[in-house]
Amino acid sequence: MAELVQEIMIEATPETIWPFLTDPDKHLEWEGTKVELDPRPGGVYRVLVAGAYQSAGEFVELVPMEKIVFTFGWDQDDNPIRPGSTTVEITLHREGDKTRLRLVHQGLPDADAVEQHRHGWGHYLDRLSVRAAGGDPGADRGPGGEAS
Amino acid sequence: MPIDATLKALAEPRRREILRLVWSHELPATAIADHFREVTRPAVSQHLGVLRAAGLVSERRDGTRRLYRAERDEIQKVRAFLDDYWTSGLSRLRDVAEAAEREKGKQ
Repeated sequence: MAELVQEIMIEATPETIWPFLTDPDKHLEWEGTKVELDPRPGGVYRVLVAGAYQSAGEFVELVPMEKIVFTFGWDQDDNPIRPGSTTVEITLHREGDKTRLRLVHQGLPDADAVEQHRHGWGHYLDRLSVRAAGGDPGADRGPGGEAS
Repeated sequence: MPIDATLKALAEPRRREILRLVWSHELPATAIADHFREVTRPAVSQHLGVLRAAGLVSERRDGTRRLYRAERDEIQKVRAFLDDYWTSGLSRLRDVAEAAEREKGKQ
């Protein structure tokens, strides 16, 4: 299985960042137009992106201020990828008064793995469709167009 | 936006199946059509046309046959696009978290 890894330095402590990952209202500030989070193992993770794309999964593991793991997929009739078919792990590494955030999205097929993981494509499609619809970070505010 | 055509082309399960078939080796249209028992040849032809228009497969003529092969480079661009998607999401998270941190500092 392929994975996608991203890291970013944030000039904030893990204590400041954590609520943005687990509190629905705060999550809305950076992603989603409707957010439902029940941050405990087995709890629901649902983020409606750009008013049109329903991502869904459930929390797997939470280590406060350090690590959050949730499954991830798309809850849409025309999508072959079921909610929870991939896994996202976000870890927060404290560095002084800053935090290095690392995101690992697992279960994604890379191009070379298409033959083995054909169903994984659906996941790409929706993520990409969302991005394509908005084109820039403004997408989550659901400007006219992508929802139609 | 070119990526949009790529997404639309990939959104159909049978087109993804075709892409898988021609991923590692070139195949004639007839062999691709034979793979789908429940899909008519014209329909398969149409799918191939969409994939070709999106640049996801290339077509080569050999006598009367048409041979198809996946364009892997084009598909890699899709992955690059996904990377970009995450980058923008995390940068939004950074912005709101840093703003919150500054607010805390003022209190």
